[in-house]
Amino acid sequence: MTTEEDGWKVGVLFAHEGVTRLIERSQYRGVLLAINEINEAGGVLGRKLKPVIHDPRSITSEYGRLAQKLILEDRVNVIFGCYTSSARKEVLPIVERHNALFFYSTLYEGFEYSPNVLYGGAIPNQNSVPLARYLLNNYGPRFYFIGSDYIYPRESNRVMRNILREGGGEVVGERYLPLVTDASAIANVLEDVREIQPDVIFSTMVGQGSIDLHRCFAEAGFDSKTMPIGSLTTNEAEIAVMGPEVSAGHIVSAPYFQSVESAANRGFLDRYEKIYGSYQDVTSCAEAAYTQVHLFAQALQTTQKLSTDMLREAILGSVYDAPQGLVRIDPDNGHAYLQSRIAMVNEKGHFRIKCESIRPIKPDPYLVHPQFNDWSLKMREPRTSS
Amino acid sequence: MSGDLIDGLRDLNVLVVQPHDGSTEELLKQIGRIGCNATAVWPFPQSIPDGTDMIFMEITHPLDANAVRLLGVESVDAPTVVGIIAYENPSVLKGIIDLKIDTVLAKPIRPFGVLSHMLMARSVCLARRRDEEELQKLRRKIQAIQKIADAKFILMRHHSINETEAYKIIRSQAMAKRTSTLEIAQSVINAESILSGMAPHDLTARMQSQTDED
Repeated sequence: MTTEEDGWKVGVLFAHEGVTRLIERSQYRGVLLAINEINEAGGVLGRKLKPVIHDPRSITSEYGRLAQKLILEDRVNVIFGCYTSSARKEVLPIVERHNALFFYSTLYEGFEYSPNVLYGGAIPNQNSVPLARYLLNNYGPRFYFIGSDYIYPRESNRVMRNILREGGGEVVGERYLPLVTDASAIANVLEDVREIQPDVIFSTMVGQGSIDLHRCFAEAGFDSKTMPIGSLTTNEAEIAVMGPEVSAGHIVSAPYFQSVESAANRGFLDRYEKIYGSYQDVTSCAEAAYTQVHLFAQALQTTQKLSTDMLREAILGSVYDAPQGLVRIDPDNGHAYLQSRIAMVNEKGHFRIKCESIRPIKPDPYLVHPQFNDWSLKMREPRTSS
Repeated sequence: MSGDLIDGLRDLNVLVVQPHDGSTEELLKQIGRIGCNATAVWPFPQSIPDGTDMIFMEITHPLDANAVRLLGVESVDAPTVVGIIAYENPSVLKGIIDLKIDTVLAKPIRPFGVLSHMLMARSVCLARRRDEEELQKLRRKIQAIQKIADAKFILMRHHSINETEAYKIIRSQAMAKRTSTLEIAQSVINAESILSGMAPHDLTARMQSQTDED
């Protein structure tokens, strides 16, 4: 693979329109911030990173088409992009066929490995078990599942159901709504919730659907203190749109929150704010996307060329001091050792971390039954809380 | 049932019989990611290591003699076998059948698909094992029924009684001697054959008829 003299071209594939635009914009910004930082510091080996940007507009088939375009027309072999699993599945065969390197920065349901993908988000053994345990211990055993109707929510719920069964919980309801849905459909589901009276709602609604669910929940007069919505996907960007009166009291499990206390995170948020005016929409996916660009640049520093095979070898096993803490790429499976944290939205509409893993958790993408009592998932109070 | 099968895929002991190269390395890693213990050997070993649950093996032409000897026989506790093929010609296809392969992975092997092939192979192998056990059970049962019928006829002939009475005798003998009706029936048949053993012609005829029934 040849590179142009003036820079290292990398592809960027996040939606700026459509249902998942909010979260994808935050990932996009994470990528561009990292590229910006690297270029300000002189680039890699004196050459700048040059992003080639396409907008798949949240349309699943567009991700595949544009990945192909990036590789064949723009002559790029490194791509950062995608939020939903269905978009990833579009890109996967293309990067495999052309032996490109694809950085996927979203949490997903596991059960995948491709030598052409580096997975930067959390998988069920890293986020579902801690969340289930926290909700069971603090709110009660009766869970109601509400999800968007695609692969991630269904698989995520299968995992959750197994964990709950082991921990003595039960699933008292399970409903799926289309990715693009309206308030009346959600209100309909919430009527059922009112009748069944679960202890917890476990939501895998994504994007606009998640925002609508929280709004309808508040409008219907439910109380998050006694029946919170627990989620793996709700993030700062969505909460900012919801506002504190809608989002307060709900629970999220993720490797990263804005409120992580570390020098790396403070620097990250400062620089983000300087470029984008505010860091309100920084999410764990944005942090993962940002971290992946730095891991890539580190590798490029040693390989000195954009060779997929050399880059892969250099990245596997590498470590980066990310905003969430130390992140290491597991050489066994291309996923990342990540932190696990549980946070609750406070009355100001910010995530307040309730507990976190003692050390990064090894990714186990093919784990059928995560163990409820996995000792490696021991949690502690956050190191410093304000 | 399907859930058990999927759960059961972790922690299997997997033997990979392939010449050691890059693609074998990739296969070993993927099996490891899935959560199984994988070891590689080449060529096919003299005997299958104890505790082997599953074998991935390249179907060579000609077939490895050890593989034919160890896998080409009917056996209830044979391990699950996934064949790896580089060709689809008739000799390789014949190898798939002769070695009783449960499923086939085509070269070049991609990590995607290994898990579902393992599941399919496991499912096919366990179903076959179950069927084989069931078949043996039924075979034994039919033999027992046949024996008891034979014994009843012997008693009916000797004592000029009907079938129900003959069965009653066998059952009460079994209870008195604290043994099974099958064993009493066998004793009756043995006694009859010893008693009539003085007539060699008769015995040969009876043995003949028994082989026919089998």
